[in-house]
Amino acid sequence: MKDVVEAEKGEIFDIELDVNILEANRKLANENKELLQKNGVQAIDVMGAIGSGKTSLIEKLVQNLKGKYRMAAFKGDLTTTIDAELIARHGVEVIPINTGKECHLDANLVKKALKRINLEGIDLLFIENVGNLICPAEFPLGSDKRIVVVSITEGPYMVVKHPFIFMDADVVVINKLDLAQAMGVDVKKLENDAKTINPKVKVVATNCRSGEGIINVINALEL
Amino acid sequence: MHEFSVTSQIVEAILKEAGKHNAKRVVAVHLDIGKLTFLGLEQVRFSYEVLVKGTILEGSKLYIEEKDGIVNCRSCGYEGGFQYEDDPIYHIPTPTLRCPNCGETVEIEGGRECTIRDMKLLISEDDKTDAD
Ligand SMILES: Nc1nc2c(ncn2[C@@H]2O[C@H](COP(=O)(O)OP(=O)(O)O)[C@@H](O)[C@H]2O)c(=O)[nH]1
Ligand SMILES: [Mg+2]
Ligand SMILES: [Zn+2]
Repeated sequence: MKDVVEAEKGEIFDIELDVNILEANRKLANENKELLQKNGVQAIDVMGAIGSGKTSLIEKLVQNLKGKYRMAAFKGDLTTTIDAELIARHGVEVIPINTGKECHLDANLVKKALKRINLEGIDLLFIENVGNLICPAEFPLGSDKRIVVVSITEGPYMVVKHPFIFMDADVVVINKLDLAQAMGVDVKKLENDAKTINPKVKVVATNCRSGEGIINVINALEL
Repeated sequence: MHEFSVTSQIVEAILKEAGKHNAKRVVAVHLDIGKLTFLGLEQVRFSYEVLVKGTILEGSKLYIEEKDGIVNCRSCGYEGGFQYEDDPIYHIPTPTLRCPNCGETVEIEGGRECTIRDMKLLISEDDKTDAD
């Protein structure tokens, strides 16, 4: 902040500031990242619209990686803990994070949740973000990698309509591959759209019900 | 959307800063908001009006400057706006992280700000003055 001369009584007083509101979250996210790294935990943030298949994807990843990693999951949800129960069925510790009326997880909520698990006991942490494609991008949580899940049922314009979320992604999962034909959606085109926006992003098509493509997601995440 | 919670943090930060200066009123606030934050400016304004009621910010003018997305190329030094690629099928210009100059992947440099840049305070009520 610039040095200011004290004003006389009744004077209008102009104050230059540089207070970045989103900065506090970014700082906390960095602290989370450091804490995770110190404990040798890799964290993966899963974003995507409601119903795109975030929970199904995490379940399939957990099933496939069970023997290889010790895992836990955070589940951000507006009101329910149904998803948390689903993931817990696979013997993985799930911490539900209730965001109340907020539309996204933030680094502070994740920080609190990190206190509730034994970080030394896990290697891999999945963080299912609230089903919302716009808000979470501005609120990094401290994860190492970010997955954006889009589903075929969201239609052919899905990617080009929300280009900026894909700029922050490491892996894009195009889910519900089994419905592509019925929906008349060109999967290759969606894939190219994501690549146009972010040339470095890895794109994988999946069917999270059958498990098709899950192995490619694991490879893309380098797990 | 998160405009309400972001705006309440803005209002909180302003109140704190105004308190340091013993302000009687805050008459104007200037924000920089980057286009890549996806904060709806109308929602920010609306939230602001609701949140300042009954505080020393009530009646203050809110100026918002929208900031464009800016990218930076580590490889060739390009700095500027995003390159847009025309989609041959949908005809929707699509922003890309590809450098318009050399084709390497660029880094996002600007457009993510949500910053209180300055504010005007009234120190005493005796001598009321307008925002500008
Ligand atoms: N047909 C089909 N359905 C799927 C697929 N993946 C998930 N689903 C279904 O889509 C619905 C929403 O999935 P869910 O994982 O809960 O989405 P979330 O809201 O993003 O966590 C559920 O009924 C899933 O069974 C898929 O690949 N194909
Ligand atoms: Mg879910
Ligand atoms: Zn370049």
